[in-house]
Amino acid sequence: MTHKDEILARLRRRAIPDCPMPDVCLEAITYPDKVKQFTETLRLVGGDAVELTPGDDPNRLLRELYPDARVIASNLPGVTIATVNPDDLADPRDLDGVHLAVVAGDFGVAENGAVWITHNTKERALYFIPDYLAILLHRADIVNNMHEAYGRARVSAGFGVFISGPSKTADIEQSLVIGAHGAKGLTVIIL
Amino acid sequence: MKDNYPKAAARFLRDAERAKWHDDTLWMVRQKRDANARSIPEWEQLRHLASQIKTHTLLRLDHYLEQFADSAAANGITVHWAADAVEHNRLVLEILQSAGVKKLVKSKSMLAEECHLNPYLQAAGIEVVESDLGERILQLAGQPPSHIVMPAIHLTRQAVGKLFEEKLHTDPGNSDPTYLTRAARRHLRQHFLTADAAMTGANFCVADSGDVVVCTNEGNADMGVALAPLHVVSAGIEKVIPDAGALAVYTRLLARSATGQPVTAYTTHHRAPRPGCQMHVILVDNGRTDTLANPEHAQTLKCLRCGACMNTCPAYRHAGGYAYSYLIPGPIGMQLGMSRDPRAHAGDIPACSLCYSCNDACPAKVDLADQTYRWRQQLDSMHLASAPKKLISRVLRLLFTSPKLYENVLRLAPLVNRLPRFLVYNRLNAWGRDREMPPFAGESFTRAWKRGKVKASREKSK
Ligand code: SF4
Repeated sequence: MTHKDEILARLRRRAIPDCPMPDVCLEAITYPDKVKQFTETLRLVGGDAVELTPGDDPNRLLRELYPDARVIASNLPGVTIATVNPDDLADPRDLDGVHLAVVAGDFGVAENGAVWITHNTKERALYFIPDYLAILLHRADIVNNMHEAYGRARVSAGFGVFISGPSKTADIEQSLVIGAHGAKGLTVIIL
Repeated sequence: MKDNYPKAAARFLRDAERAKWHDDTLWMVRQKRDANARSIPEWEQLRHLASQIKTHTLLRLDHYLEQFADSAAANGITVHWAADAVEHNRLVLEILQSAGVKKLVKSKSMLAEECHLNPYLQAAGIEVVESDLGERILQLAGQPPSHIVMPAIHLTRQAVGKLFEEKLHTDPGNSDPTYLTRAARRHLRQHFLTADAAMTGANFCVADSGDVVVCTNEGNADMGVALAPLHVVSAGIEKVIPDAGALAVYTRLLARSATGQPVTAYTTHHRAPRPGCQMHVILVDNGRTDTLANPEHAQTLKCLRCGACMNTCPAYRHAGGYAYSYLIPGPIGMQLGMSRDPRAHAGDIPACSLCYSCNDACPAKVDLADQTYRWRQQLDSMHLASAPKKLISRVLRLLFTSPKLYENVLRLAPLVNRLPRFLVYNRLNAWGRDREMPPFAGESFTRAWKRGKVKASREKSK
């Protein structure tokens, strides 16, 4: 017998009483103003959300938010302040040193400030390695909770991630430090 | 080891100020959990679902495991099965060696700890770098974790500062957490950029899609996987869940229960290897099928490893993680240790006060306190009960089964109030250690009742 068969055979001796798969259908929390809830929650977890005023240029806003960013990576057509197209790089390690990455979010989640991002760039390192991350998100694309979110999340090219705020740690005396290994700051630009 | 708990706890309590900090800090995490839970009106419904889904999945684990393995394989992931820790470690080494790996970056995995993977790989000449900050601190200090979510909670910032001064050459005397975290970021960034492989655990393995879902706050697992050409996942077989609908329930509960955050900073779905790269998943039994076959303790496998039962446990908060004999401490660790080896871990069982707080905090409704209670019933037949406690039980049984004797003893009890101190506060009386005993009432309740001294006062309660 292979280990697989051995383990599966042992599992058939289980001792837990029968229990059907429950229907995951519950009245989950919803919010009267999803954009407001999303923004507040995101701030709570150390990130920020900024609404772009109609007619304003996101490039101008990004410049204002990140005046010191010199190496800016983005493969989005409208992001003219980008200095690097990440898809042109041969190796994901070449992304080390990027100050700011500008990426597109699929949708946001009001209850926890997370944004679902699928693979729309060559290397997923783009979402983790830069000092700062800016995510462009349409205001219509904010759902209430994780049930709605998983009803909608599609994985493409074998990868998808919910990112809720910048990376953080409290491993030294439970004292919160923003910026562990991933982004040290995160802004969602709401279009 | 039996009887080590009180000694290890006493060692921890010697630094009273630190012990108080530990207690207060974990209580604060518990309160953050409470506030978060209360902000979700359907919280109890979610816990109920979480428990039911896990129960259902465990019951049909053979089916879901095969489904997961098939989906993952169809996505280009190589799936392995390991019966025990030895098998697991051998598989990891084989995968690493056949890819010519010299340096491995690891994100936190309690399963790797359980299998003692690091020393095994290091002995085979592989450099292993822990990348979670807490785990890295402990690796540099040569210490085991004392909590599953906050592994270095027992260390002061000064201790970390000193350690980094020596190992990472940080400024002498600087123990500012932000400064130290930044130093670790730079140090580990170099390792991420030069690693040949990344290893992660799995929070969830989704059967119908084949997704391996990893939840972290630091982004260390993601950095490792995004840069190295090889990704190895170790997952206990109980990590499988049916589908994304179930995942929605767990992702809502996990971080809220663990740290009082609405969700972890990163909830990453790894569905396929990066182009030109390899991804392997090792599904590990290592005693889990035995636990599942034991009706009294099978529920242990519902655990999400959130750590809430530790934060809420008064014994854990006061005694610290090192008081426990198994590598996972607290209420869940007691169950995991006992199901592995009751002789080695029975010493922790009396530490529980059966307050049941763990049962109430657990997002998956693992019956932690009930299991502890059941172990207690078995200690005597396993010849693991403590002799003084057995004697006390025998005396109490005599008292409680002879009303006359009981009443006479009770009548004499107030005499204890007048005994010289050394007769009451000594080594034989564990209750008198570190605290003052309450005085016995001059008259027992039963006597007072019979003499009409106890009034049922309706007025007062109005
Ligand atoms: S037993 Fe429950 S509370 Fe304890 S770590 Fe597991 S899921 Fe969390």
